[in-house]
Amino acid sequence: MNYLIPLMVVIPITCALFLNLLHERTRTVKIISIIVALALPTIPLIANYGVQYFGGYQPLAQNPTIAVGLPNLITGTALNIFHPAITYVFGSAQKLMIVVLGFIALFAIYISLYEVKKASGVYAYLMLMGTASIIAMLLSDDIFNLYVFFEIAALAQVGIVLVSKVDYNYETALKYMILGSIASPLLLIGIALLLGVTGNVNVTDIVYSIQHGLVNPQSPVLLMACSLIIFGWLYGTGLPPFHTIKSAMYSKALPTGAALLQAFSVFSFVAIGIIILRIFSYLPFAHIFIIGISLVAMTLGITMAITQTDFKRLIAYLAVGELGYIGIGLGLGTALGITAGLFQAVNEAIITAFLFIGFGTIMYKTKETDMRKLGGMLVETPKSALLVLLAGLAMAGVPPFNAFQSKLMLVQASLNSGLPEIAIIMVLLSIVTFMTFMRAFHTIYLRPRPVDLEIKNEKIPNITLVAMVAFLVVCLVFGLFPQIATNFLQGMAMSIA
Amino acid sequence: MIMDTQLASLLTAGALMVIGIFGTLFLDNLIKKVISLAFIGDGANLFLIAMGYKVGGIVYIFLPGMSMSNFSQNASYPLPFALVLTSIVIGASTMAVMLGIIILLNKKYGSLSASKILGE
Amino acid sequence: MIEYIFMITTILGSIICLMQRDLLKAAILTGIPGASLAFLYQYLQAPDVALTQAIVGSAIIPVFFALAVYRTRRVED
Repeated sequence: MNYLIPLMVVIPITCALFLNLLHERTRTVKIISIIVALALPTIPLIANYGVQYFGGYQPLAQNPTIAVGLPNLITGTALNIFHPAITYVFGSAQKLMIVVLGFIALFAIYISLYEVKKASGVYAYLMLMGTASIIAMLLSDDIFNLYVFFEIAALAQVGIVLVSKVDYNYETALKYMILGSIASPLLLIGIALLLGVTGNVNVTDIVYSIQHGLVNPQSPVLLMACSLIIFGWLYGTGLPPFHTIKSAMYSKALPTGAALLQAFSVFSFVAIGIIILRIFSYLPFAHIFIIGISLVAMTLGITMAITQTDFKRLIAYLAVGELGYIGIGLGLGTALGITAGLFQAVNEAIITAFLFIGFGTIMYKTKETDMRKLGGMLVETPKSALLVLLAGLAMAGVPPFNAFQSKLMLVQASLNSGLPEIAIIMVLLSIVTFMTFMRAFHTIYLRPRPVDLEIKNEKIPNITLVAMVAFLVVCLVFGLFPQIATNFLQGMAMSIA
Repeated sequence: MIMDTQLASLLTAGALMVIGIFGTLFLDNLIKKVISLAFIGDGANLFLIAMGYKVGGIVYIFLPGMSMSNFSQNASYPLPFALVLTSIVIGASTMAVMLGIIILLNKKYGSLSASKILGE
Repeated sequence: MIEYIFMITTILGSIICLMQRDLLKAAILTGIPGASLAFLYQYLQAPDVALTQAIVGSAIIPVFFALAVYRTRRVED
């Protein structure tokens, strides 16, 4: 029994509930948040790989003592190997992704604690709750458990937007919730149809039933379930047609919140995407649909980023566009493609968090997000300007950073699959990303300072710079030694492809 | 009867979802929009319940004195019901958050019209 | 037989609820589909879900809506 696997989810949720109660006591909130935030990346680092059956109900095949005396109707059929309990699987790919998510959450929580005078228990509660639910989505092998945490994550994301005091945050949050209240019942019905056809909610068992002919794979009900689950996936991760509302959500949150929100989207994209691939990869158009929607997301996200004047909105659109790269990797369906897609997911989560926090220093100094009113910030914040420049280079895929390696792998994978067009589009869009970023960088940092721009005379907290340097180090390590990351991810990619 | 209970309840679920989606799209008042969203959730729940239902079956609670073979052949499928319990609670909490936002927005705009508040 | 009546009250109740101009009435009328659904669940062999739905659907949700109406405005504009 490996108790660390459930603890990854249980510890943040329990402490989050405590923090909410301790709202007014600033010192206690600070101490508890610091300890729990440290626990987020360390627990998955020290945990061993394994499988957790909640309630201890293993499949009958693994536990012969229970199976004694049961009729042949149960032990002689597939019921013998089905999973009666909610199952969490902790493999090498999950390890890397949870560590990276915990790493981003760690710095988001630390920065949020030190950038404000009075630490807010509610904000820490929401961040921990969201992180815990995304960790559970990554671990869970049970599609209904995934739905429950999908809903909790959506509520936590709305909460993160609600507590930021940005203009029009309530309107955006309400719009997101209205769309969500349509999309999540549809996702639930998709799950219900899968349950109705296969009689199971465990993904491994569903895949077994479909592959071993226990159910008819060409059944139209399964097609319907596939499309409904994909619809919920589009909503949860902000692919088109939800890219506008999702990028609005990012831009209405505080920089720390936005950094965490995009990490949530990236990892829920991966978690649900992998389940769709595992269950429905025998349908040829599932791959084509994923590639198509990813191309649309890339093109729309990156081209809409060009016209933005608000720099938070600009990065938000770039973040949505970058999701497309992951989708292409998953949609190609080959082992190399999926490895590249997962690697790109890890890289993108780090780089976009880096960018949001980097540009967050501008907001901290000036309280201004409109690029037309900004300028000349290089003199004010030379260190963070350099770091932001490096983050932008990393996002565009310039060597020696990590996104270069993953985008190179994606290009290779698409060439190997006989789709050179996708490779060309990806390279072109990388160039556009770089151009968009450089325009923003020039307007904010390099051009002469407008006369009416007020700059607060406050030092940027050291923890922000430390966080940015830490992200930079991770980018460089993954860029110079990509095998460190891909070794973790290859096992999962092989099992899906 | 023309159709059995299961089919009729599936149709009811469909009708509830259609009413809900219609209300969400075409009603302007925010409170009514949220009421319609609650109906969509109810429809999805009823759909799940109707799937677990077994025509002519018995309730899935094993009481003393029942025979094992009779129970295993006639009991309805309890897994969807367990899922619905969670889903009902999630739906209610989402409603509560939305109504909270609406109260705040009413203070700011002095109106509950979606076209005024969400139209930008 | 009686379950068909509950199905009809569910659908009619939801339609009537959305047709009200007085929001407080609409809020209270959400209890009708909620309660009918609870009875329907009982007839669909799900007694535990029926209990939850009876509390949530016919008491908690209408009260939430009524409170929200009370704190905002009563007539649709």
